[in-house]
Amino acid sequence: MSYFLFIVKSALEDFRRNKLQTFLTSLGILIGVFAVVTLTAMGLGLKKYISDQFDALGTNTLFVAPGKLLESGGMGASSLLGNRFDLKDLNSLKRVRSIKSITPLSSKSGTAKGTKKSEFSTIFFSSDAFFDISGFEIDKGRFFDKRDVDKRAKVLVAGPKIAEKLFGSISEALDKKVTIDNVSFVIVGVIKSKGGGGFGGPDYDSYFFGPYTTGFIFDPDKKFIRFAMKTDENINISTVKEEVKKEMLKRYEDDEFSIVEPTEILSVVNGIFGILNLVLVAIASISLLVGGIGIMNIMYVTVSDKTKEVGIRRAIGARKNDILFQFIVEAVALSILGGALGLGLAYVGILLVQPYFPAYMDFTSVALALGVSSAIGIIFGVLPARKAANLEPVEAIRYE
Amino acid sequence: MIKLDKVVKSYKIDEETVFYALKESSITIKEKEFVSIIGPSGSGKSTLMHLIGLLDKPSQGEIIVQGRKISGLNDDEISSLRNEFIGFVFQQFNLIPKLTVLENILLPSFYARKKLEYDPKEKALGLIKRFGLQGKEKSYPNKISGGQQQRVAILRALIMEPKMILADEPTGNLDSKTGQEIMELLKTLNEEEKITIAIVTHEADIAKYGKRIINVKDGKVV
Repeated sequence: MSYFLFIVKSALEDFRRNKLQTFLTSLGILIGVFAVVTLTAMGLGLKKYISDQFDALGTNTLFVAPGKLLESGGMGASSLLGNRFDLKDLNSLKRVRSIKSITPLSSKSGTAKGTKKSEFSTIFFSSDAFFDISGFEIDKGRFFDKRDVDKRAKVLVAGPKIAEKLFGSISEALDKKVTIDNVSFVIVGVIKSKGGGGFGGPDYDSYFFGPYTTGFIFDPDKKFIRFAMKTDENINISTVKEEVKKEMLKRYEDDEFSIVEPTEILSVVNGIFGILNLVLVAIASISLLVGGIGIMNIMYVTVSDKTKEVGIRRAIGARKNDILFQFIVEAVALSILGGALGLGLAYVGILLVQPYFPAYMDFTSVALALGVSSAIGIIFGVLPARKAANLEPVEAIRYE
Repeated sequence: MIKLDKVVKSYKIDEETVFYALKESSITIKEKEFVSIIGPSGSGKSTLMHLIGLLDKPSQGEIIVQGRKISGLNDDEISSLRNEFIGFVFQQFNLIPKLTVLENILLPSFYARKKLEYDPKEKALGLIKRFGLQGKEKSYPNKISGGQQQRVAILRALIMEPKMILADEPTGNLDSKTGQEIMELLKTLNEEEKITIAIVTHEADIAKYGKRIINVKDGKVV
């Protein structure tokens, strides 16, 4: 048996003999690690969820939105500026050759009445290109097409969630009438689920989608909130942005619109969640600190309890560093024990919330949890261990 | 082999009072000797034994171990001397309760800094067999008798093949028959293994095992 193994084994033997005390001492670290791991898992999950939504848009997409989108507090703030763009903008952007397809976007919210139920919902009005740009797939029926747009047809494509709510089932919804703010539409298709929703990201599953021309019923000014477009993948996206900008500058001032890639939004989302995660970890770290102090306290008690043992070990040849090492190993073992239990508990907790919340545990948080708990063991163990190492052999061995 | 040269151990009680646990004393213990240090309690014999065992440092004077002055050694070097040169046997046995018999015997070898020329585990098992402790290897100290515990302590002292065994009241916690057995064992080690033995005791019966007796009285070697 090596020296190190021997030290670890005798520390574990101590724990075995004082199970309750050991558990209570490691409880602080347990709770701390549990909190850190669970909260980061939730933060990470949320971030991943939102990132996935933008990832679905693909790499060759651009938005044109009113105002300074990324500088004025995100999408929400720009929406407050209202519908700014009009058909003239659409036609001029259509002339930009590096844009493969483009759709204007506007929306209308109201109470939607189906055969089974009424529910507050939102219609996204767009061109038929929207489905391709957003990467939607049809489940039942069809998307609306160019003819529907030209004819200003009162047709809608429904998200699967809202279809099920209003009509009982997805297949029931097909070809049925739905009334929103006293305007009747026919549901021509239901899309496949895009998943998620409810955390600030768009919940496409609960939306309706209709031709933008039909949307003018609700908006006599014929304005759009933004444009989404798919660019030619053979042309550098920044070149496309320059071209779009040139076109837009013909009618607007530089600060009246933004041209945004989903990856830019992604980096903003990442930034926000980076800070959020940091705050969560900082809060949870307080319990780690408290746990560490608990370990330090118990280690001081242990040093007193083991004065005689230290004396014996010194008498038979242990050096100061041997004693120091022994007590640090004990403190680290205590905190790793707490860390491992906390991690296990967090794992169970995350499995339990996963059906309701996109919690996501990654290797980094596991490594971090164990790393941090060993660091706590060393930091808070070193002072008591030094006290033990510096005991005078003759006094320690006389200690009763 | 070990020489205490005019050593004094004193403690300052307050600004004016100094307590002398050991007044100026000189002792030489030669190789292969069996020495008994006898004295009543409070005579300073324990202090003397702690100094010989390098557990304590003298306030004045010098301790010389095999020609090396202790005052010139640092804590690690003194620890290594205790580890390799001296084997301790105590009145309270001083085994570590959470370690098994075998682990207790092996303990000094874990702290050895020099490369051992033998496998300590093999040696420990050999000693266990030789001193009648077979079957107790995995027992914890509280599960064996006092005499057996003291034998384990002696084996622990032997594992590093020390030059000297230092025993502090080795029979103090044992009945007289077991005490005698322990003393016979030490005598055998001295005669057959040529290990220097120094025992500290207040009992004349025990002290007489020594081939030389050192009397300590009122903090002074007489």
